[in-house]
Amino acid sequence: MIRLANVAARAGAFALADVSFEVPAGGYGIVVGPAGAGKTTLLETIAGVVRATSGRIVLCGNDVTHAPPEARHIGMVYQHAFLFPHLTVRQNVDYGAASRDLADDMITRFGVDALAGRPVDSLSGGERQLVAIARALARRPRVLLLDEPFSALDPRTRNIVRRLVRTVYYEQRFTALQVTHDFGEAGLLGDVAIVLDRGHVVQTGDPEDVFRRPKSPYIADFLGAENVFAGSARPIRAEEPDWVEGDPDGFMEHAVAFTTGALTFYALGDVVPGPTHAVIRAEEVSLSAEPSHSSMQNQFRGRIIEIVPNGALSRVTIDVSGTPIVAAVTARSVRELRLVVGSDVVAGFKATAVHLC
Amino acid sequence: MPLAAERAPGMPASSAAARGAGAIVVALAASVFLLFIVAPVAGLVASGGWRGLAGLGADRELRASLVLTAFTATVATVLGVIGGTPVAYLLARRAFRGRALVAAIIDLPLVIPHPVAGIALLLVLGRATPFGAALYAAGLRVTGSITGIVCAMLFVSAPLYVSAAREAFARIDSRYESVARTLGDDAWRAFRRVTLPLAGRGLTAAAIVMWGRAISEFGAIVILTYNPKVASVLSYDRFTSTGLSGAVPAAAVLVLFALLPLVALRALRMDERQGR
Repeated sequence: MIRLANVAARAGAFALADVSFEVPAGGYGIVVGPAGAGKTTLLETIAGVVRATSGRIVLCGNDVTHAPPEARHIGMVYQHAFLFPHLTVRQNVDYGAASRDLADDMITRFGVDALAGRPVDSLSGGERQLVAIARALARRPRVLLLDEPFSALDPRTRNIVRRLVRTVYYEQRFTALQVTHDFGEAGLLGDVAIVLDRGHVVQTGDPEDVFRRPKSPYIADFLGAENVFAGSARPIRAEEPDWVEGDPDGFMEHAVAFTTGALTFYALGDVVPGPTHAVIRAEEVSLSAEPSHSSMQNQFRGRIIEIVPNGALSRVTIDVSGTPIVAAVTARSVRELRLVVGSDVVAGFKATAVHLC
Repeated sequence: MPLAAERAPGMPASSAAARGAGAIVVALAASVFLLFIVAPVAGLVASGGWRGLAGLGADRELRASLVLTAFTATVATVLGVIGGTPVAYLLARRAFRGRALVAAIIDLPLVIPHPVAGIALLLVLGRATPFGAALYAAGLRVTGSITGIVCAMLFVSAPLYVSAAREAFARIDSRYESVARTLGDDAWRAFRRVTLPLAGRGLTAAAIVMWGRAISEFGAIVILTYNPKVASVLSYDRFTSTGLSGAVPAAAVLVLFALLPLVALRALRMDERQGR
């Protein structure tokens, strides 16, 4: 378990202030934040190589705020590996290994057995990172701290190594905290997401929840939400909108109209009337040739102004009365709906897909 | 092959000529400067080097002074390494109040005239001072002894070691130590297993520079300990007692002696560049 309570620390130009969060025992925490947010400083403070100037750090039930790094039973992998250049690959993995057998196991698992006798300056960036991960795991840490550990790996190796780390994680059941720029990784790996900005925790929670319900437009933007709109919201329960007719789920109580430019969306939420932001994930926006008679409360006809293929999904931007709305649709949908730039299409999304923040 | 710089297409002729003239002036200035450095040393070695080396077998005093110089410089260097390494490490790694002042104080012996350094040492270690008297009472005589030579050498050359060692430590990313700490090492063990091996070449080079500076010291030594004579003092002594002809062989041998650390330093750096 990793628990931080009101931790402050400083390392050079980076400072942490009043940082509090908890990753449960055996949990996998993900730290995301822009460059300069203090993500590495946070890991170094937990590791004890940067001194916490206030607050408490508890690892696996022990208050380690003032304990030296070697007493914290941690493993740490830096983005740039920091393999000891005067030692071979084998000697690096052996350096702090809990046992020779575990070092052998990690060397084999991470596929670096063929490199064991080589000096580390002859390795590629990806190979170095594999050795660094093997070295940290060979220590059998209770807490593993990973600072963008997969960033030097090519996409294929990244997936393999991510799976390997996950396998060892399930076997050893350590608590992990990983810094990443890739929020997709948070969804894949994380139990807890911590969003850090300028040394402050700005949001924590279940990664899915943070992803779908960011606390601010800044977080939404950072987490890759394409549809973030500034506008104003007002409760409309008194108007008894027809889309909550019957109100079987008690939606009426929370019905909201959000206006941005010439558009008004329906949304659900408890809002104070006035300026706010609406966030809609591109994956929540569907496209059709004609308005559908489904439960889609928000449907707008617009003109396609851009189609950007991106792997299995394409990003389609529709201009609706001067407001661009981005939809993520499959390549198959693009073909079947004959979507081309300049053609008209209907963009729709549910009121529940609109997050107000 | 044209001797002057070729004119680039589009460059005016007057500009090319000005560049050529500038290059000649720079080359001349550099040649005169090099000649100024090389000529006295080469002249000294040429006129007395062979005589000095040939006479080493018979010149017992010169032989003894060279041995004394090497021995005292080595002792001073060992003491400098023992005392200076932690200081250099702290200056490179730790941010503390007054760090700039400490660094400036350590560098001070480099910029004060060396006889002045000798006088300063005399004021602390001389028999007439409380500290010097206490040392004398404890059986440690500083002035007029090998201890005095070592003290003078240490005082004037240790700053070179600390400065170079500090650079050697600063070049090593502190995160290597951080990783070693997370792998279970305490601070001393991480220093011994990671930092020291990584800084090894830099520290060795720093020690060689210190040793080289120590063997050439004269000003501070002559104030503290005229006898027994180190090589620099012997050269001076022979110059004042027998004139130039008597001083040249000893001086030339000292120059050749001083070449040793410089050769070692260059060999170390070539080795480093080749990644060995």
